[in-house]
Formats: sequence, C-alpha cells, structure tokens
Amino acid sequence: MSKIELLLMVGVLVPLASFLLLALFGWRLGKPWAGWVAVGAMTLTTGLATAALWQWHHLDPAGRAAARSDPVVWAHLGSLSVTFGVNLDSLTLIMFFMVSFVSLWIFVFSVGYMAGHSDEIDGISKFHRFFTYLSLFCFSMLLLVIADSLLLLFIAWELVGLCSYLLIGYYFHKKSASDAAIKAFVTNRVGDFGFLIGLGLVVAYLGDLSLAGAAEKFHAQYVSWTTGAAAEAPLFARTFGGLSLATWMGMLLFCGAIGKSAQFPLHVWLPDAMEGPTPVSALIHAATMVAAGVYLTARIFVLLTPEAQFFVAVIGCITLTLAALVAIVQTDIKKVLAYSTISQLGYMILGLGVGAWIAALFHLLTHAFFKALMFLGSGQVIEGCHHEQDIRRMGGLARKMPVTAVTFLVGVLAIAGAGVPAVWLPHHVPVGLGGYFSKDEILAVAWHRVYGHPHGDHAEHSHEERADALDGVGMSVADNVAAHAVEGMPATAAQRKLPAWLFWIPVLMAYVTPFYMMRCWWLTFMGRPRDPHVYEHAHESPLMYVPLIVLAVGTVLSGYVLFRPMVADAAPTPFLTAAYDGSEAGSAARGVPIAHDAHAALATRVGLAFVVGFVLAWGVYRRGLELASRLASGLRPLHTLLVRKFYFDELYGALFVGGTMVLKSVLYAFDHVVVDGLVNLSAWLTERLSWFSGRLLDQGVVDGAVNGVGSGALSLGGLVRRPQVGRIRSYLLFAAGSLAAAVIWFAWVEARL
Amino acid sequence: MLTIGLTHYLVLAAILFCCGLYVMVTKRNAVGILIGVELVLNAAGVNFVALARYGPAAVDGQIATLFVIVLAAAEAAVAIAILVNYYRALVTIDADQGDQLRG
Repeated sequence: MSKIELLLMVGVLVPLASFLLLALFGWRLGKPWAGWVAVGAMTLTTGLATAALWQWHHLDPAGRAAARSDPVVWAHLGSLSVTFGVNLDSLTLIMFFMVSFVSLWIFVFSVGYMAGHSDEIDGISKFHRFFTYLSLFCFSMLLLVIADSLLLLFIAWELVGLCSYLLIGYYFHKKSASDAAIKAFVTNRVGDFGFLIGLGLVVAYLGDLSLAGAAEKFHAQYVSWTTGAAAEAPLFARTFGGLSLATWMGMLLFCGAIGKSAQFPLHVWLPDAMEGPTPVSALIHAATMVAAGVYLTARIFVLLTPEAQFFVAVIGCITLTLAALVAIVQTDIKKVLAYSTISQLGYMILGLGVGAWIAALFHLLTHAFFKALMFLGSGQVIEGCHHEQDIRRMGGLARKMPVTAVTFLVGVLAIAGAGVPAVWLPHHVPVGLGGYFSKDEILAVAWHRVYGHPHGDHAEHSHEERADALDGVGMSVADNVAAHAVEGMPATAAQRKLPAWLFWIPVLMAYVTPFYMMRCWWLTFMGRPRDPHVYEHAHESPLMYVPLIVLAVGTVLSGYVLFRPMVADAAPTPFLTAAYDGSEAGSAARGVPIAHDAHAALATRVGLAFVVGFVLAWGVYRRGLELASRLASGLRPLHTLLVRKFYFDELYGALFVGGTMVLKSVLYAFDHVVVDGLVNLSAWLTERLSWFSGRLLDQGVVDGAVNGVGSGALSLGGLVRRPQVGRIRSYLLFAAGSLAAAVIWFAWVEARL
Repeated sequence: MLTIGLTHYLVLAAILFCCGLYVMVTKRNAVGILIGVELVLNAAGVNFVALARYGPAAVDGQIATLFVIVLAAAEAAVAIAILVNYYRALVTIDADQGDQLRG
C-alpha cells in the first residue's frame, strides 16, 4: 500500500466515520455542531486529497507505476476472483479532489442554510439527519471514484443512489418529496438493471471484474478475433440482433449511466429531485452523483466498440437537446438549473460518444464548480425571498443581493461558454471561463469526427503518438500495429465518420444554453421587481457568501490550471476507438490530436454563441415578461409541448404506471376469481364432507346405533321388569302357574314318552 | 259300597291343595295367604299319610307327615314374624300394598 493510496483510503473512510458518529450521536450534538463535525470531516478529506495530489505531482511515471499496488483478493467465485483495490491514476486523484473540495464548500453553505429550516420531527430536533446522510453520500461517492473493480464501483453506485433517495425525500412529510425520491430511485434502478446485465456479460465473457483486468482481456479477445482465432473471441464472434456481444456489453454497462446521469429516456427523475433541499441539489444532482454516470462511461471507455460509442453519442445528443429546449420555458429557478444539468450531462456523454474523452471529463470537472455555484446561489435567492422559487415573481434582486448576483453571473458565463477565441488574442492566450474551454473542446472533436481528415496522415500521427504513450505502459508498438493490419479493417475504427447532425445539433444548443441561462439570471436579478412583497424582504446572508466566492474563483481558475492536465494524463488508449485531444494548443499528452482547422471552424460558429444567446435573452426579457408571454401565446402548441416536458411524465405514467395498473387488475381478477374461487370451492367441499361425516354418519349412524342400543335396552328392560310387580299375589300366581305347567308337563308329556 | 282306596285320598289331597292354592293366590289379606299356605302344607301331609297306608313305604310316610307338620309350624312362625314386620312398615296387612319394589 503506497502512501498515496493510504491517503486516499483514509480520505474515503473519514466521511464514513463522520456518518457513523452523526448517526449514533448526532442528536446529542444538535444544531449547529452536527454540521461542523461533518464540515470538519470534509476539511480533513480535502486536505488528504490535496496532499495526495501534491505527492502525485512530484512522482515521475515510474514512481507512479510503483505507487499502484495490487488489489486485495476478496473472494473466489468459481473461476472469477473478486478483487478490491484503489485505481490510482490522475483522473482518480483529480475527481477525488473535486468531489471533496466541492462537497466541503457545500457543507459549509448547508450549515447556514439548514439552520434556518425547522427540522423537528415529533418535537425532536433532527438537524443532524441532513449531515448524516450527506456524510454517507460523500463516503459512497469517494469510494466510487477510487474503485478499481466494476463490482466495487457498483456497490458504491448503489450506495450513492440510496443517499440520493434519502436526501431527495428529506422532507418526507411532503408527499411530493417522497414521491420524487421514489421516482429517482426506481428510475435509477431501471438503468441499474441494464448495468447488471452488462456486468453479467463481463463476468461471462471476460471473466474479470476489475477495470484493468477487463480491459486487458477485452484487448486480448479483440486481438484473437482480428487474427482469425474467432473461437477465443466469443465477445466479438457472437452476435445478438445484429450487434456483437461486445457492443451489447458496452451499451448495457452504459445503461447504468443513463439512469444515474439522467440521460434520455431515464432523465425524468432529475427535475423532480429538486424537491430536496438546495444543498442536496447542488451536491448530488449537479456536481457529483450525476457525474458518476459520466465517470463510469469514461472508465469503461476502453470496452466500447464503435457501435456502442455511437449509441452513447446519440443518447447524449438527444438528452442535451431535449433538456435545453425544456429549460427555455421553466419558471422555477431550481428546475432551470436541473434541466441545464441534464443538458450539460448530455454534452459530456456526447463528448465521450465522439471520443472526446479528455474534453468530456474536463467539462465534468468545470461543470461541477459552476453548477454547484449556481445552485448555491439559487439557494441564497430562495432563502432570501422566503422560499419563493418562481422567477416570474422575482426581478431586480441584484440591488438587494449583489454578491449572489455577481457569483451567479460568473456561473452563467461559464456554462454559456463565455470566452474569447485564442486566435483573436495576442500571443494566442485564450481568455475564458472553464465552460468555454471544455465545451468547445467537445464540439471541436465532434467537428473533427464529422468533417476532419480521413485515414491518411492521421494514421501515422496516431500511431506515433500512441507509441510514445504506450511505451510507458509496457506494450509494444508492434502489437498495436499488428492488431490493426487486417484486410478490410480500418487501422483505427475511430476514423469512421459520424453523421453531421451529431455536430450541428449540439452547436445549435450551444446557442440555446446561454439564452435560457441569461433568461434565468436576468429575470431573477435584473429589471423591475415583479412582486413587491418578495422584493422587500429579499436579503443576503453573509454566512453563505464564502462558499459562493470560493466556487466562483474555482470556476474561473478551473479552465486554466490543474484540471485539464490531470485528466489528459489519464486518457486511455483504447483499441477499437480513440480518445481525442481536442484542445487548441493540442497538448497531445495521451490523446489523438484532431484536425488543425477544427478550432478555427469553431471560433466563428460556436466561440461567440454565448454573445448571441445573451443578446437574445436580454432582448426578449429586458422589459419583463410581456414580450415572452406574447411569444408564448403566439406559439402556443410549441410552448405547451415544452412546458409539459415533451409529455414524458405523462407517457411513462400511462405506459409503466398504467401498465402496472392493468397488470394489477388482471392479477386481481385472477386472484379474486380463480384463487378465491378455489378456496371457496374447497370450503364448500369441506362443508359438504363434514355434513356427510358429521350429520349423516356421526349423528345418524353412530349416535343412532348407540341410542338404538340404549332404547333397545330400555324396552327390553321394560319388558323384563313386567313380572317384577312387587305384588305378592302375582308372585304366588306365577309360582302356582309354573307348578301347574310342570305337573302337566311331567304328567302328560313324559307319560307319553 | 265304594272301596276307599289310595286314589280317593290323593284326590282329596289334590282338592285341598287346589283350595289352598286358590286361597294363596286370591286373598289380599296377608293372614289369609298364610291360611292358604297351611292348607297346601296339610294337603301335602294327607298325601304322605295316604301313601304310607296304601303305598309301598310303610312308616316313612308318617314320619314325613310329622316333618311336614313341624315345618309348617316353623314356617308359620317365620311367616308371622315377617307379617308383623310388614305391618310395622306399612301399617296394613293388605298384600297388594307392598308393591314398593315394583319396577
């Protein structure tokens, strides 16, 4: 166990300890100490994460390889050995740092935020409950990040889902909250169902659940398939429904991400999850838990075939479009942020789908910062307006809440991708917030996949790049080249072109995103206040400034320092697909570089999309809501479609809930008619039988016999007692009579003989 | 003249016996029943004497008759004792009143 691994493990266990402490003794600590215990635990974890990062930074590749120790064998299940260990690479470290850092500041915010909410259940203060669940969540999320085995990841995955359920349903007295919690959990479960089947395929065909081991075996099977030994490559040789099993495996594992990261069609739970307290929305449904799906997809990236990758890209594209369109008409500030989260997650999934591995994860990290920032800002707004969440009732709050307004604006700029393209600036130094870099990189790679140069020169580039990268990992170039030199098989399948709409639709949405975000910001903070009552009482709470400012600074810096290099360091080198490096500078650390003119093409189309979006939003909403409502009434059908969220809830309600109800009726009818009928029939039969046996046999025959004997004896007795008259004269008469009879007998009968 | 033989005595004993029997059976008075019993016993005695005079055994019949008379006396004593007790219990000598053992 190396020092870094030890630091990470302790960092994972600290929130667990905090959870146990608060679960057992939290009620005694009460407000606000329970909160500070949790904050203390997270501070410790963040410190450990920073220390781990620092140490890692100072290690050279050899040292880094040495820092990875072998996983612990937990059990042997037949031929499968289940191992648990720490997956130590740059991505793990930077995710660990992000999760603990963002969590820490959200915890600090929550102490102030939750203190204002009466938390009594049955007269006992339950303030500690919130931090208990949050600590458990942090433990699970960190465990997920360091997991090196799909099984351990899945365990942490489920735990994270549990915490999400507990926290969404935190105000469980409210029916809408408990319904939302159930919806989230069940929808997640549907995704997990696919994930489990995928895990089953991994166990069956790869026989190894650890990430590294599975990747190795996957590669080995692919090599055997390409060299013609199809018998040893069942994953690729066998097909189901036209797609190879390898593709199915990738798609099914991705299903888990569809559920967890709220992708189409399992996106319906995230907007409802806004029923939970705002810090929960910030932490779980913006920065971390929903990122787990993206993280999983990134980790199984090497197991995706090009078809599976295409599936991922399509899902991501649909999701980001759907959510962006619905976000335009949302009136609840948290719902706007929820849909924008779904849309941004769609961007990340799309990024992974087109091969922009580095960009997608980079976007994940920057998104965590600016989304958490905006959620906390919205929390301030909601608190300050006394639980008013409808932006139609706000307006002009910037005068009352300047710090919140400014930090929220930073977040808006980041998500909109505000920045100045490097080509326009002296020395080509790009200026922009985190979102600018990450989102643009995804689109650049998408452009490259659609319009970039074909096979030709990129083959050499990619092989050389990979050769350098691979040397450190101990695989030879010859292996790699040989693996691809098969007739009819392109050297890198990633060269397959993608359909143009996979580029253009996200580009279009890159115009929509700034529009709805600026709409939200403007309606909340600018213009004339629409509800005087709300405006009068609006105030800022200084206690909750600090996290906002820290996260705002983080948003600004995330584009420049630390995050991208760490992610780029961990980029994988898959054999079926490719992980592209789409940045302007083209760092080419581990990724395949893209066409040089990609960014130039983007600069004109996407680079200033945010300006267009902002101007449009300002134009529509600058005089308040009148213009917007006129537009809405003019486009009533479209508006209704968006407001009803494309009728997904209604569709699922009719399909699944309705279907279950129909099933219920069918089963009830069966139960009522058949089962109850049988039971009643048996009861009737038993009744008849008992009549036969009891009334007929027992009472009739047996009792009749017994009574018959009795009455027979009685009559016989009556008969026999007749001579016993008690009268002397009768006795004498009998005696005389018998004597006479005897005499006659002797005299006449005997005499005759 | 009619020669008086054994038969005549036997017939006389039979008639006496029947009378005694009749009296035993029909009298309600307990003393009357006892009188009937004496008649029957005496009939048996006459029978014995007649057989002693005219039958094969000479003296045995007469001895038997003596037995009968003694027995009759003893039996009468016992019967009177019973009757006295009967009267004590029922305050009547009506034999029909003693049907307490009737079933």
